[in-house]
Amino acid sequence: MAWQKQILRVNLTTGSCDIEPLNMEWAEAYLGSRGLGTKYLYEEMDPAADALSAENKIIFATGPLTGTMASTGGRYTVVTKGALTGAIACSNSGGKFGGELKMAGYDLLIIEGVSEKPVYLHIEDDKVELCDAGEIWGKTVWETEDLLAAKYRDPLMRFAGIGQAGETLCRYACVVNDKHRAAGRSGVGAVMGSKNLKTIAVRGTKGVRAKDPKAFYKIVNEVNARMTDREEMARDGTLAMIDVTNGFGSLPTNNNRSVRFEGANKLNPEAMHTPNENGHTNIVTNGACFGCTIGCGRICKIDPTHFSVKDRPEYHGASGGLEYETAYALGSACGVDDIDAATFAGFICNEYGMDPISLGGTIAAAMELYDIGAIDDSVTGGIKLEFGSAEALCQIAELTGKGEGFGADIAMGSKRLCEKYGHPDLSMSVKGQEFAAYDGRSMQGMGLAYATSNRGACHLRADPYGHDFETTEIAGKAKVVAESQRDVAFLDSSGLCLFPGGCGWGLEDYRTLVDAACESDWNAERMAETGERIWVLEKLYNLKAGLGKKDDTLPKRILEEPADVGTGKGLVCRLDEMLPEYYQLNGWDAEGVPTAETLKRLNLS
Amino acid sequence: MDVSVTLFGGLRHFLPAGSSFNKCTIKIDDGSRLDALLRLLPIPPEKKFIVIINDQKVSREDYADIAINGDDDVVLLPPIKGG
Repeated sequence: MAWQKQILRVNLTTGSCDIEPLNMEWAEAYLGSRGLGTKYLYEEMDPAADALSAENKIIFATGPLTGTMASTGGRYTVVTKGALTGAIACSNSGGKFGGELKMAGYDLLIIEGVSEKPVYLHIEDDKVELCDAGEIWGKTVWETEDLLAAKYRDPLMRFAGIGQAGETLCRYACVVNDKHRAAGRSGVGAVMGSKNLKTIAVRGTKGVRAKDPKAFYKIVNEVNARMTDREEMARDGTLAMIDVTNGFGSLPTNNNRSVRFEGANKLNPEAMHTPNENGHTNIVTNGACFGCTIGCGRICKIDPTHFSVKDRPEYHGASGGLEYETAYALGSACGVDDIDAATFAGFICNEYGMDPISLGGTIAAAMELYDIGAIDDSVTGGIKLEFGSAEALCQIAELTGKGEGFGADIAMGSKRLCEKYGHPDLSMSVKGQEFAAYDGRSMQGMGLAYATSNRGACHLRADPYGHDFETTEIAGKAKVVAESQRDVAFLDSSGLCLFPGGCGWGLEDYRTLVDAACESDWNAERMAETGERIWVLEKLYNLKAGLGKKDDTLPKRILEEPADVGTGKGLVCRLDEMLPEYYQLNGWDAEGVPTAETLKRLNLS
Repeated sequence: MDVSVTLFGGLRHFLPAGSSFNKCTIKIDDGSRLDALLRLLPIPPEKKFIVIINDQKVSREDYADIAINGDDDVVLLPPIKGG
């Protein structure tokens, strides 16, 4: 058990909603969530199709441990072809939506086709209906959830949907659930918008049953006892990383012109916890997703006297605050050291449904275009788009959420924006997706991880952190990246979060939970093979979509301009030396194509 | 001599009493080595960290050999991940 063994298929073109049995042969080979969703997408759509066409499908996939009592067992993944990248997209989210979908009885929700008019999907266990979304189309994520919550009057109903950014096909629109958790990356919200699907409301009462509930309960308690380092994560959240990368010299600043930000101490956990001159403290409390025993979420308030919200009481409440990635993207990447401005821009991302990493990365690129004179006030609509301008950040964030003015250009993402204005090298992206909060020069393994990530630049497809903080030498990096990509693929497919891995858990703890919850024997060898199979299947999807070795690369700045300070001072990313070894370790040829032998070994031929 | 030490991330909670947010000043004998300096910080032995001096990563096996100067910028980072 642990799987519900059924999927819900909704065809927006015909309006049909059908419950089907889960393909258990695929579940045994791909586990769930990211892996299983990718298998269904790979088998059911042509990867060469346009991401925003009716041919694309969007899959909401839970894992076998989603909805169980395992700590952090609330994750789900949105799998589709990415609107930002044209590559496989698998955006993972927490909150409470995933557990609710699983308890409604579904491992996967597959959405296909395009609705003629805006609709939303209403699920209460076996009762499934498509409803007219005329009244909520054009509303923000927050307004939509409030309106539908008032309509259904069920406090346990959960929502995952899009804001205006998804409706207007912002290339990095995300799917937001529970108001401030998001399947954030690669433009999965734009795919939802292209299908005229506003939101999914779900309520489930069926529960989730492990293979042997008593044995599973025992294992859950055993592994929870090994989560010994959770207090720091609960207190400081992922934001603790900003001091580490800034000290190390790997915090991307001013569109990666630098790797250290003078204003980092205005965005760090201390700044978040310390009252400002008005007596206002940014953080209110921490928050946890379904079943989580860590609680890394930041629940924050903007200083009501801050320029961004001064006469706007609707933004004076507490909501999802800055985490490390948002503090980088809406902070150091743009040279902004104003914690309230960055928090406001983060609120806007949640409200309108945008990926803050790509928004911040694109604004940073635009700031550099403005700085070198490639664009001016006539293009920006008069906004002084200077590095460090908190006012410009806030203005542009709102315009982008609405798809208005220069915001429509920012909504294209940095790659398309920089191409449009004649400087493609200024987009700090891989496969069109903006960098996360680590520089690939002082963290060479992260550079390789970005370049080879199947969904475009990402800090969560591999785990090179420990090795990178130990040494900038490249020996061993390819092995660390290749092996951890497989491990992460397995963990993402379980329905659990990656963060227990930073709080005391090892791979064996995750494996033990899967083995206790799911039918058949999930030993270490099978875990490794499953992770590799998922990683290679994603690669095969991308190859069919037209991506190849030319896309496993980094921006010129990272390959040719040495880092200015820090432990990596004077270094560029030595990708060309690491990539051949990485391909070889994966059993791929010199062009990055899995060999026939590798495919046969993984039962992919 | 006095040496300025910065402890980032959660390590800052192991600063000596009276320290500022994440910095402290440690008094050591002239000619002291890095391992002697680290022993003066109240960091539990199970806590892992990496050391950076003047923007250069220091290998663990060199702790006993590296002489500390009064103007050195000593930084300790916890090897956290994710975010």
